[in-house]
Amino acid sequence: MTTTAARNRAILWLAGPAYLWLLATVLLPLAAMLYFSFLTVSPLSGTPEFTLAHYRTFFTQEVYLVNAGRSMMLGLHVTLLCLAFGYPAAWVLARVIKNRWREAMLLLVVLPFWSNGLVRTFSWTMVLTDYGLIGRALHAVWPGAPSIEIMNSYPAILVGLTHAYLPYVVLTCYVSLQGINPSLTEAARSLGASWGQVFLRVILPLSLPGIIAGAMLTFVPVMGSFMEPRILGGTQAIMLGTLIENQFTAAFNWPLGAALGFVMLGAVFLLMALFWPLIRRHVQGVAA
Amino acid sequence: MSRMFGVLARSYLGLVLLFLYVPILVMMIMAFNKSPLYMLPFRFDTVWFGKLAENERLLRATWNSVWIALANMAIATSLGTMVALAFARYDFPGKRFLQGLLMPPLVIPWLITGTAMLIFFFWTGIGRGLHSILLGHVALSLPYVVIVISARMQSFGAVFEEAAASLGATPWQVFRRVSLPLMAPGIVAAALFAFAISFDQFVISYFLAPVGISILPVEIYSSIRQGFTPEINAISTIVILVSMALMIAFARLSSFSGER
Amino acid sequence: MGSVDLQSVTKTYGATRALDEVTLTIAEGEFFGLLGPSGCGKTTLLRAIAGFVTPDSGRILMDGQPVERVPVNRRDIGLMFQNYALFPHLNVRENLGFGLSVRHRPKAEIAARVEELLRLVRLEGFGERKPRELSGGQQQRVALARALATNPRVLLLDEPLGALDKNLREEMQIELKQIQRELGITTIFVTHDQEEALTLSDRIAIMRAGRVEQIGAPRAIYERPATVFAANFLGAANLFTGMVEAREGGLTRVRLEDGSLVTTRDEAAPGRQVTLAVRPEKMQVAAPGEGPNRLSGTVSHEVFTGTAVILRMDFQGRAISVFAQNDGGPLPRAGEALTAAFDPANAVILTDPAG
Repeated sequence: MTTTAARNRAILWLAGPAYLWLLATVLLPLAAMLYFSFLTVSPLSGTPEFTLAHYRTFFTQEVYLVNAGRSMMLGLHVTLLCLAFGYPAAWVLARVIKNRWREAMLLLVVLPFWSNGLVRTFSWTMVLTDYGLIGRALHAVWPGAPSIEIMNSYPAILVGLTHAYLPYVVLTCYVSLQGINPSLTEAARSLGASWGQVFLRVILPLSLPGIIAGAMLTFVPVMGSFMEPRILGGTQAIMLGTLIENQFTAAFNWPLGAALGFVMLGAVFLLMALFWPLIRRHVQGVAA
Repeated sequence: MSRMFGVLARSYLGLVLLFLYVPILVMMIMAFNKSPLYMLPFRFDTVWFGKLAENERLLRATWNSVWIALANMAIATSLGTMVALAFARYDFPGKRFLQGLLMPPLVIPWLITGTAMLIFFFWTGIGRGLHSILLGHVALSLPYVVIVISARMQSFGAVFEEAAASLGATPWQVFRRVSLPLMAPGIVAAALFAFAISFDQFVISYFLAPVGISILPVEIYSSIRQGFTPEINAISTIVILVSMALMIAFARLSSFSGER
Repeated sequence: MGSVDLQSVTKTYGATRALDEVTLTIAEGEFFGLLGPSGCGKTTLLRAIAGFVTPDSGRILMDGQPVERVPVNRRDIGLMFQNYALFPHLNVRENLGFGLSVRHRPKAEIAARVEELLRLVRLEGFGERKPRELSGGQQQRVALARALATNPRVLLLDEPLGALDKNLREEMQIELKQIQRELGITTIFVTHDQEEALTLSDRIAIMRAGRVEQIGAPRAIYERPATVFAANFLGAANLFTGMVEAREGGLTRVRLEDGSLVTTRDEAAPGRQVTLAVRPEKMQVAAPGEGPNRLSGTVSHEVFTGTAVILRMDFQGRAISVFAQNDGGPLPRAGEALTAAFDPANAVILTDPAG
């Protein structure tokens, strides 16, 4: 109906501006960051030379390796907590709650995720202490109650981040659980499977894409978190994320920060490459 | 499934919701408590909202946040709609690659995207400031806008556009009178989403905000770090109510649960 | 106004030839059916006429003017989609007025025309409804009226009745035919339903694998199929293969492979290997005995359909069917001997060998 040239022109005009924007604000910056990570000093403050020193620093200095490990562990812990609490919740939503209620409940679960993360993290500072509303109320009715004071500790970071990413895990698990035809359960039962076998051999394998998607979409940002540890973690706040932030906002060693960032990015890409084929469709489906 | 089991299952979901909402509710209640030190008993007062109205810094930051969110909404929604149109109505080599290019802003931690922008903008002379914050917010919003509108377009296919053309409509008339009205709910939903992303975005803004000029999340963060006052509860309450209202409106428009 | 000429129209998608040298002439005012199994190219052909598909080669003429380069919106066609494609955001009135409105016609003219159309399809009073508030049959009528609104020179229908249930479909067939006659508009429609094609069309083109297999009036194609495919696709056919022995007294004598002799009025040169087709209802249960056009065998099974009994018999390694009217007379049962006979006028020589 249209000639090829007119078609190509239409595609170019439609997609061109957005991709120019992405090029200038995401792709080129990432390239610049990669370039900086190999420089002795920032070209803005001196004459740079090529060096691998920053990457060597990461792999030789204990502080970076230890904190990279801490970030990984934090990611792992938060992911496991989210799955442990989120998967059953997703199952309840997909199988027990029906119709209009299900839609309302789902919205209630997801709502916090799309609201302000900073404010939500901040709100925990008023809960995880003996001097907040809940602490005071608890001690008022039960004077001998144990302390709930966990502010400025690793558990506080865990609570805050689990709170932050639980909705997403519920959503991804819900989407894949909801896609499983209930008659498959009945079929497995009729073939003699126990409830445990139904779960392990039918439900779990079929909902795996949702589990992996939820895990990835939790693990990756948690690894890069710095605001939540800073607000909730007190002296326990030091993570790879906060170290990177520090290079840019306090130490002003941008090349080192860039190198640390790329180490983290490398880990992220490795994870993505491993799991991407499994979750691609899913991620797009959930985001829609 | 037994009744007992159903009750247990629902209670569990109730507990999860409790976990999700208790801190937010506590914060909102405290915003209305007279005592600055969270002293009980609770005494209702709007004193902190009043203080807010006198806080020049916070008001300026709020204003900056709002107009950046509005500008972001306008730019990201228009650019994203165009991309969604190209993807939905044309097949071309490299389409999958272009779709893949939307993923980095979604999957790369904001910490890295934000610092990369900081480096690049500084290096090229774009510098820090509200303009570079806007540049960054649009990049973050674009993929979501494209995904939301594409989903909407997939739901009606090209057949209505063909029908319009067969009835004599020019390509522009097809777009104006058929494609656009059919896409409208998706576009409005995407616009709300884009506004919310910008309004709530902290990390990117944190790295790109220059000294002296601030926007709301960054202002709240530095207040928290410096030892907060209950005014922060008040502004936080407003912020979270705004973003939740936006998302409820979005959900109503896009019926995200995949049913219906 | 409204003739359509297709000359060697070809369209390939990768390795598949969706249209392979299609040549057709459709006269003004004709109701023309494109019939074939799914994937035969009939929809591609319709979309090529509409302008959604650009042929790789060949010409498409409307009223003698080439239109391959004319975009859809300037071809002056009316197209009714399979699932109607009624604009969900517009009401019936706005849907009907769309074509005139995009041509910037005055409001009064559009309003008058819409009223006229609503009367034509008997939907007065439904103008303010949204498409989803209409039944399937009503949607179908709106879609038809919308396609007719601008008085296009050609009306194209893609499986026009495919989405309706059986009773409604028969009702709509009559209505569609009536409206087409009344307006005298050239109409081309696509269907995979042979009965619909026979009922509606003035002429039919049977398509197969991108090619036109046979063109003709429904009756002519049914009575005189040209190929095995045409014979089998439009109705059922019993096929026989044999060698032509002689032509005498206006009859061609064919010796079948099992030695029995049949005759046909069709002509063929002696010594040629031919395939004959005879419709099941053109075969009668006959008294046993020798002679031309008498085929004997054993009934393998019988199918009772109410008005008739279909008797199946193995012959020459193929199953053949005989329609026996259920007129109360005695009929052979499964396992019993059957002799079937037919008139030489009803045996058709096909142009291609049976597979």
